Amino acid sequence: MDCSPFGEDWSPGGSRWKICPWNIKMSHDSHMNSSMLPTMHPDHHHTTAASGHDHGSGMMMMAMTFHFSYENVPLLFSGLTINTPGEMAGAFVAVFFLAMFYEGLKIARECLLRKSQVSIRYNSMPVPGPNGTILMETHKTVGQQMLSFPHLLQTVLHIIQVVVSYFLMLIFMTYNGYLCIAVAAGAGMGYFFFSWKKAVVVDITEHCH
Amino acid sequence: MAMTFFFSDRVVLLFDFWSVHTPAGLALSVLVVALLSVLYEVVKMGKARVLRRALLAVPPSLSREALLEPDEGDGGHGATQGRWFQFHVAQTLLHVVQVVLGYALMLAVMSYNAWVFLGVLAGSTIGYFVVYPLLRVD
Repeated sequence: MDCSPFGEDWSPGGSRWKICPWNIKMSHDSHMNSSMLPTMHPDHHHTTAASGHDHGSGMMMMAMTFHFSYENVPLLFSGLTINTPGEMAGAFVAVFFLAMFYEGLKIARECLLRKSQVSIRYNSMPVPGPNGTILMETHKTVGQQMLSFPHLLQTVLHIIQVVVSYFLMLIFMTYNGYLCIAVAAGAGMGYFFFSWKKAVVVDITEHCH
Repeated sequence: MAMTFFFSDRVVLLFDFWSVHTPAGLALSVLVVALLSVLYEVVKMGKARVLRRALLAVPPSLSREALLEPDEGDGGHGATQGRWFQFHVAQTLLHVVQVVLGYALMLAVMSYNAWVFLGVLAGSTIGYFVVYPLLRVD
């Protein structure tokens, strides 16, 4: 019996867990009622397996398509599971503000970078010229020293930005329709509010913004 | 869930109804994904273009006070503020489209189907190649 994602699935309470007999090890089976525990179902027919499709043993299968559900939705951490519409509403608001915070953090880092790069240092050094003369070569450097406070602050904010961006990616990866809409709407609203007065040239070569 | 890349003509992309099980369906799906990737690059370019057009149409005040205190209420006439608002709304909409497309492409790659991944790469390459020179024209 094969449990490919293209096979049938149970949909209790609106959630879409694809459950295979060998991966019953679930971290929060207190939320599942006993009728869901899959024992042998010899009369189930599944479609033929995808070639090369590998299942991790003992791993719970994730949703791989978009769905709208508010029951049994794990959110990033094992303690955070959404079971009721109220909890989903709260999670929606939290994810919305997280996405807004991410956009604001990006703009804030840009502002801080611009403000701290006002200082321009000139270095003059003698170099030998063509006829044995000595020329003064002047280098202009714009930047920060490594241990200066603005750079350390930028580094700390960068780490926060990377962590928040990965959290948003993982939230989107739950494939939950409500949470994905919250991410997109929060990003849009955050961009709208925080880059209102931004008047700099946008660098379109950055990929992960 | 697959955890390594594999070549296969079976994949389910993003939605339940987008279930592929034939080579022709796979080719079409890879084409769609590549076009989405091209669209992503186009939207990125579009945002830059809208910003440039906004800056040309509504030149922000370069006075020292305006730069130091960006939150100082009305920085211009009502009509100027209104035009800037329209440009900014357009940019925000483009930003939302970019975010959604970016995440959708990420989820498509997460299917770990190697053909889909190559399609995303090809679309991104073609999109960037076609669209980037347009930034220098204005």
